[in-house]
Amino acid sequence: MKHFTMTRRKESRLSEVPPQGPAPVSRTEGAFDLWLQRELHRLFDGVAREPIPPELLRLIEQDREEHAAAPETPPKRDGAG
Amino acid sequence: MSTTSSFHDHVIAILPKLRVQALALTRNRAGAEDLVQDAVCNALSAQDSFIPGTNFAAWMHRILRNRFISNLRKRRDTTDIDDVPSSVFATDAPHEDRLALKELAKAMVRLPSDQREALVMVVIHGMSYEALAEATGCAVGTAKSRVFRARRQLESWLLDERPAQAAPQAKVAASDATSARSDSTRLGSMPLS
Repeated sequence: MKHFTMTRRKESRLSEVPPQGPAPVSRTEGAFDLWLQRELHRLFDGVAREPIPPELLRLIEQDREEHAAAPETPPKRDGAG
Repeated sequence: MSTTSSFHDHVIAILPKLRVQALALTRNRAGAEDLVQDAVCNALSAQDSFIPGTNFAAWMHRILRNRFISNLRKRRDTTDIDDVPSSVFATDAPHEDRLALKELAKAMVRLPSDQREALVMVVIHGMSYEALAEATGCAVGTAKSRVFRARRQLESWLLDERPAQAAPQAKVAASDATSARSDSTRLGSMPLS
């Protein structure tokens, strides 16, 4: 499959030095990386642009109101996850 | 602006990126929406543990990722190739481009979830490897490795000149040794042309 243009472009971060050691970036790799980036944006950008579900926004706003009404508590250590 | 209102504003602002991350992990639109909602609930419950001024994005992304892993441990996660984002087929791109997108989407589904997530967050969110490492709770070298492997695997699958292997019921398992969960997918019978 050759759905990308084989032109010389700026090196893409996707094909930069792998952990094991330096590897030369061929024109094929650079072209594939550019194609991959473009197509991934086609797959995922639409999702990011879709409106947020109203029920999710309501959930956040309701929590905001509840915390605004409650007395403040000192923050604990970061325990994400 | 109070700390409380700033926190909720941060949550709302990051929702688009969470949706992208969730879709990369679940490969399923409905599952992604559920995961985002679960992660938001977790974050709201734990908001007192977040230290203002620290990296909110990394904190939020980790919550979502951990919720995904937790869900996987509770059930066997499967997805159908038909759950590929409908925007792929809604594009007005030329027919040949849509075919290429479909091939890429199918290949993405086959990647281990950690590699798929890493690739999407670097390409779509423009994250640095350091930010990716912090958001996914791994070393910078591991983050780089995931992106590199994802890219190399996709290149191998998509540019391999040999005839495509027909495996409509194939399942693949996650290969990330650092994560104690399984990941499987069921390829549908969607034709390539």
